Parts: sequence; C-alpha cells; structure tokens
Amino acid sequence: MNNIIQAEIPEQLCQQAELLIQQGWASNLQEIINDALRRYLESHQELLTEAFIQEDVEWGLRGND
Amino acid sequence: MLNGACVVMTNKTLVVADAGVLIHLDELGALDVLRNYEAVFVPNAVWVEVLHHRPQALKNDSIALIHVSDVSYSPKVTAMARLFTLHSGEYEALNVCLDQEIDTLLTDDTAARLAANNLNIKVHGTLGLLIRAVRCDLRSPDNILQLLADIPKKTTLHIRPQLLISVIEQVKQEWLNNK
Repeated sequence: MNNIIQAEIPEQLCQQAELLIQQGWASNLQEIINDALRRYLESHQELLTEAFIQEDVEWGLRGND
Repeated sequence: MLNGACVVMTNKTLVVADAGVLIHLDELGALDVLRNYEAVFVPNAVWVEVLHHRPQALKNDSIALIHVSDVSYSPKVTAMARLFTLHSGEYEALNVCLDQEIDTLLTDDTAARLAANNLNIKVHGTLGLLIRAVRCDLRSPDNILQLLADIPKKTTLHIRPQLLISVIEQVKQEWLNNK
C-alpha cells in the first residue's frame, strides 16, 4: 500500500529532478523522491545514530583532544 | 580537572564545522565551548546555512571562525557525498578537511559521520563538545548537565528523549565518581 503525502520542495530541486528525468536518468519524480527517501533512511538508521552519540559521549568524557 | 587531561588547552587544534553544531551550540548559548580550538573552519555552504538560520552564531567573539570561501573538491569526497547523499555543507566541510589537512569534523549528521569515518576524519558532535567542555575546564559539570537537559526545548537537535536521559545520567555518574 502506498501513502500519499504532500510536501513543499524548493523549485531548484524540482528543476534538477526534472532535468534528470528529461535526460533519461529517472523515469519520474516519484521514483527520485522514493530513492532519495530510501537513501536518507539507510544512512540515518537509529542504531547507527545512537552508536555515534555514545562514541561522542565517551570522547567528551575521556578523550585526549 | 575531571578525568583526564585536555591536550587542547596547551596544544591547540584546528577543526572544520558543519552547520548543525554551530547552530545547536548557539541555541544553547554555548558556542564558547569551541574557544580552545585554535580556529574553526567554516566552508562557504555552511556559512550561508548558518547565516540563514542563526546569523548571530557567526558574530561570536569568543571563537575564531574562519570563513573558507574557496573550496577545492576531492574526487574521494565527491564519491562519498553521492554514496551518503550529503548536503552541500557537509560535502564542503569534508573537502576542507582533506584540502587543509584538518583531521576533525564537527557535525551532528549521521551520514556525514559515516562519510568522515570512511575518509579517516575524526568526528565530534554537540553532545561530545558540551561534555568535553567540563574535561577542558571551560564549563562546570552542573552547567553542562543543565545544557544537556535543555537540548529538547532550546535547540533544533533531535535526540530520542530516553537516550538523552541515559546520557545525562551516565555523565552525571561519571562526574560524581571523579569528584
């Protein structure tokens, strides 16, 4: 099942996306938005973020720089 | 001094900042925790972003901000930026790290941290910098505990509330044990 969401996107981003579609790098805007969202979620996984925060806290407490 | 020496006090260090850390520290009125870095390099894309959201952060006299308007781009960083879909500020910040041979990036962004790790660049964020301020005798433990507790209501830094509570508890215990 797909959800429909409404979002405001800067005009410049839209134009760049449209250009990619015209050049044949993507089939439509939805494909680009899905891919961008998927990549964002992959690189911002909760466990990863929490691990980084813990590393940061350890450095804050016991680092030497 | 609590738990370990802070080398920065005698051997000052250069760092590159992403927008998030500058904005979040300014929101807490704590940009001065960066004052014992010799200089904080701010790439142009980051400068523009901070100027848009938090212009007063760039006028803080307690820290040495260096506006880097001319950034050289590395193919390695370009590849990382694509892989981790980095924003222009994070992209420029990593490029400045490589170009200026600065080994520390200040960012709160997970993707930027991942990319920096892959480029052997050390990364520190708002929480670490606040906690470090006690180690470096820049702020008191009570003051930093209060600032950590203020993060959800005073800043745009998003942290899972339970995780923040456990971090506060962890550092409180650590500082109590070292008193």
